[in-house]
Amino acid sequence: MVIADYLLAGLVAMLTGLDRVALVQVMISRPLVAAPLTGLVLGNPLLGLEVGMLLELLWLGRLPVGAAIPPDDTQVAVGATVLAFSMGQMLDLVGMPMVILAVLVAIPLGKFGQIFDRLARNVNDRLAVAGLKALSDGNTNGLERRHLMGLISFAVSSLATACVIVLIGSVVLFYTAPQLIGAVRDTGLSLQYSLIIVGAASLLGTINVNRSISLFCAAFSGTLLVLWMR
Amino acid sequence: MSIVLARIDSRLVHGQVLEAWVPHVNADCIVVANDDVAATSFQCMVMQAAIPSSIKLIIGTLEETASILSSAELLKKRVLLLFATSEDALKVRTLGVEYPKLNLGNMHSSDGKDRYTCTIALDHEDIEKLQEIETQGVKIVSQCVPADREQGWHKLIRSGGR
Amino acid sequence: MKAPRISWLTFLRVYLRSFLLQASWNFENLQNLGFFYLVLPGLRSIYGDELSRDVQRRQVTYFNTHPYFAPLIAGTILRMEERLHAGEDVAVDPDAYKKMVMAPFAAMGDALFWGGVRPLAALIGLLLASQGSLWAPVVFLVLFNLPHLFFRGAGLILGYVQELRAIETIQKCRLPDLAIRLKESTTILIGVLCAYLSFKGCEHQDISGAWGFVLLPIVLLFAWLSHKGVTSLFLVLLTTSSLLLLALLF
Repeated sequence: MVIADYLLAGLVAMLTGLDRVALVQVMISRPLVAAPLTGLVLGNPLLGLEVGMLLELLWLGRLPVGAAIPPDDTQVAVGATVLAFSMGQMLDLVGMPMVILAVLVAIPLGKFGQIFDRLARNVNDRLAVAGLKALSDGNTNGLERRHLMGLISFAVSSLATACVIVLIGSVVLFYTAPQLIGAVRDTGLSLQYSLIIVGAASLLGTINVNRSISLFCAAFSGTLLVLWMR
Repeated sequence: MSIVLARIDSRLVHGQVLEAWVPHVNADCIVVANDDVAATSFQCMVMQAAIPSSIKLIIGTLEETASILSSAELLKKRVLLLFATSEDALKVRTLGVEYPKLNLGNMHSSDGKDRYTCTIALDHEDIEKLQEIETQGVKIVSQCVPADREQGWHKLIRSGGR
Repeated sequence: MKAPRISWLTFLRVYLRSFLLQASWNFENLQNLGFFYLVLPGLRSIYGDELSRDVQRRQVTYFNTHPYFAPLIAGTILRMEERLHAGEDVAVDPDAYKKMVMAPFAAMGDALFWGGVRPLAALIGLLLASQGSLWAPVVFLVLFNLPHLFFRGAGLILGYVQELRAIETIQKCRLPDLAIRLKESTTILIGVLCAYLSFKGCEHQDISGAWGFVLLPIVLLFAWLSHKGVTSLFLVLLTTSSLLLLALLF
């Protein structure tokens, strides 16, 4: 992976990171979009799609409600895609097992995203104070500028999260991937699917619908029967 | 009637309550104890519009709350009780509403209040009120959403505000 | 004195600025600067460049709502400011109005968009992605953003035209109930997805598809655990480490 690739991936990290809260919110921050987008700039969108699939449901039930900050699934998706791509090349390990390892290493590192996000919002506290002061001086343009400067802190915190995930992840994968890849391969589809299914289950557990369990069971049984009988 | 959650939340009915807490504690009734809201029909209407028809919403003044909670209508309901401030929570408690545990959700910061967590800002009066509630045998914890860790409020106070 | 009406170009600017509402999101006053930034083009065309202290003060107070509902509130606020400038009476003053509606609107937006539309669109996208289709992210984005972008625009116009009565219109739409319908569809799709993956797994192992039912109690157990507050992170670590251990041992 060349420097230009890392720069492009960093740009994607910032753009998708801004989409989480600060800017636009058209949901390019969802792993299902952010990961293929990262893959696209690295030249392998399908790799990104695989990463995105594994991550999409995991924290989907954690709503960005009020001041509650969920783990940064966006940067986990971006970071895992970069890791799967770069470490895959470096260690000459390709395919789904490498994707799974990269995702598994990146997931716990999503905690850093919460820390950086909180920091960014604390920086914005100061911006808000400065903005209000500008306003009380009658300077509305000053307030607008302070407001927009908030974008910088969010962009920096996203980039920092992605960098931490890629840096720590690279070291961890460098030492563990060659040993673990065999075991991951042996699990076949089960490990890959278990990630998606854990996500689906946690979404099911947090959705607020009275009949969710019966609807789920009916849909599950119906679909499986149709597939099985076919 | 069972109170499945009693919470101080300056935003009263909002996403954290409806999307996270209601499913978590399986509540099917929300009681808002607030004098200002109960007195403003427009705000009652807006609040009602935010609630799905499967959940019952009752808005009452602090005085009314005890009788609302003991009414026959709520006999089989799992109630989520909301206050806007520590003062309201204490008043309703002294008016005879028993809740075993009090959740501190959002207590919005304003001048003269120190912020203890991202969402909780308290001043001296708040702390006194909460202490008084605690001496009546109520366990007070801070937890913004179910996915956050529950934390005893003493730990919060010890860590200091800013 | 009749205030100059806000032009459609100004509305367009307010609409576009609504995408920047949360640029300076902060713990102290959340979206307060954002809201001022949002309504500023409108305020300028009502009052000119010199905004009075009162106007400034009432538009930078603590503010927090669902970002997609902010244009609706902004529309009403601008109409109110127009009235105030023209010396007319308003039933509720702008600051009180914001205080009253922001939390309930946030609840509606959270339920409808974060709880309803987003998971549903994501699951449809995932079902496509499980076929290896790169259309998955595109379909997800389109499904999510059609209602999203429409809602922002329609909200702004509705708020301006109907003012306080916009609440009645919103109430008639029964958005919270719509959100529940969407969530029910989501649970159905979760079932379909899990069954599909389970069946694929059986096929891969060359065993009968009936074994796929083994997954059902497992998913229910996990759903129950996460309902009880066990985090996804813990569940992931638990399952993957046990699967890897099994693979290493046998």
